[in-house]
Amino acid sequence: MSALLQAELLKLRTTRTFAALIGSATVVSLLVLVLGTTLSDFETEEDVRAAFAGDFTGLFILLLGAMGMAGEWRHKTITSTILAAPDRLRLLVAKAVSYAMAGVVVSFVITAALMIVGTVILSSRDQVTLDSATLLDIMWRNLVVSAYLGALGVLIGTIVRSQVVAIVGILIFAFVVEFTLFGLVPDVAKFSPLNGAPGGVIDVSFDGDQTDLLAPGIAALVMLGWVSTLFAAGAALLRGRDLT
Amino acid sequence: MRHHAPAMATVEIRELSKRFGKVDAVRHLSFDVQAGRVTGFLGPNGAGKSTTLRALLGLIRPTAGTATFDGKRYEELEHPSAAVGAVLEDASFHPGRSARNHLRVLATTGRHPASRVDEVLSAVGLGDAADRRVKGYSMGMKQRLGIAAALLGDPEVLLLDEPTNGLDPPGIAWMRGMVREQAAQGRAVLISSHLLAEVSQSVDDVVVIANGELRAQGTLDAVLGGDDAPETEVSSEDQDTLAAALTAAGATVQRDRDKLLVPGMTPAQVGAIAAKAQVTVLGLAPRARSLEQAFMALTAERRS
Repeated sequence: MSALLQAELLKLRTTRTFAALIGSATVVSLLVLVLGTTLSDFETEEDVRAAFAGDFTGLFILLLGAMGMAGEWRHKTITSTILAAPDRLRLLVAKAVSYAMAGVVVSFVITAALMIVGTVILSSRDQVTLDSATLLDIMWRNLVVSAYLGALGVLIGTIVRSQVVAIVGILIFAFVVEFTLFGLVPDVAKFSPLNGAPGGVIDVSFDGDQTDLLAPGIAALVMLGWVSTLFAAGAALLRGRDLT
Repeated sequence: MRHHAPAMATVEIRELSKRFGKVDAVRHLSFDVQAGRVTGFLGPNGAGKSTTLRALLGLIRPTAGTATFDGKRYEELEHPSAAVGAVLEDASFHPGRSARNHLRVLATTGRHPASRVDEVLSAVGLGDAADRRVKGYSMGMKQRLGIAAALLGDPEVLLLDEPTNGLDPPGIAWMRGMVREQAAQGRAVLISSHLLAEVSQSVDDVVVIANGELRAQGTLDAVLGGDDAPETEVSSEDQDTLAAALTAAGATVQRDRDKLLVPGMTPAQVGAIAAKAQVTVLGLAPRARSLEQAFMALTAERRS
């Protein structure tokens, strides 16, 4: 398994997609943070917490995972990958774990950057800042969600196989379907895979209404359920599929 | 240098069948590939060659039958990429990754020493282009990279699906030499192609399939000579009389300039008829069919 993991991480490092997506995530997240902390007033710790946790990193990691797996079919590299590692179940586990690990690393770097830049700006404006314990709390929650989204992206890419359909589908589901659900049936929406359950773990709702969120422990279990369900579906498809 | 017992079949296909929906891609196919020999796997496009190779590699699930390496399915091999190297027809690479990185990924996945990457790159002549991104490669360079990937694990069996596609004449010559060299080192090599002339110079044995079914197998000479369909060319002092005698004996006679072509008869049979007709024979010889002709005959037989 460690060889498969190393190979998947090597794949990530040896194309420009990874660097481009992570660069974009960093730039967009920092831009939003700088504009927000410069132009808005931060009167409570919750405001600051939302600024440090509610960035776009998770979305980029999700897309990275989906593109990474669907790209195996797009470039037909899935054949050489499976020839080198015929156990498709182990391959899927390795792929999901490697993107979860990548998500953790990327999230750590970006969240740390956001915290440093944000704290400097807020301090200079005599606004509320967070103590180190709170920052640490935000950090681990972000890392858990990023790991989840990295693995989830891989599983979506396994099921969908088309990069375009995966990307468009994720964006529509995240920004249209789930937002609509939050507006119409928030009790259902808080269980949703992209905004609902992850929002419960990081304790930040995209619309600022904390009453819509699951408790972090419950949210983590729901995320585990989503990953397990998609893993079962992805594994069944991958194992049963003829590679013609 | 590798040495394998030549009597042992390294690759065994037994009653292999694969159906896609309503289409029988491969039907009850059986043949062996021996170590130390190059076996040409021949057939027209759509004959089932790629399906057979993919079934052998565990990429598609056979509807019936088995395809094994020394009795084990590909996925049952302890170290698959060290036992079998494959170049498939649509072998593809991430366009943004360099050849070296592509091989590094495969070497890591297959648990092969990192030093093998440079060795195989040199072996296929891509050492100087190793750090270029694959999207800038020509078709021939991609084929060489595919070969390099197949050789990474120093495998005992090589499966090459249409490896000469897109190669220029020097590339084809290189491929022939490489294939012969691999077999000389004791490897079993199975090379599929629909371009018969391109493999006829490098194979020892041939397996011919059409419409998913086996049509012929054996040594190249046996299939090329058309043992099952002899053809004789004969010239004599009185071609008209000889032609009439042959026709009376049930032969179909074709005229080719000053010779008569007699499909379906051996020189001995033609000679006996000429003697009986008291015609002086000036020349009598079996006509060796080209591989192309043999192939066309083999695939046409069941169409009519």
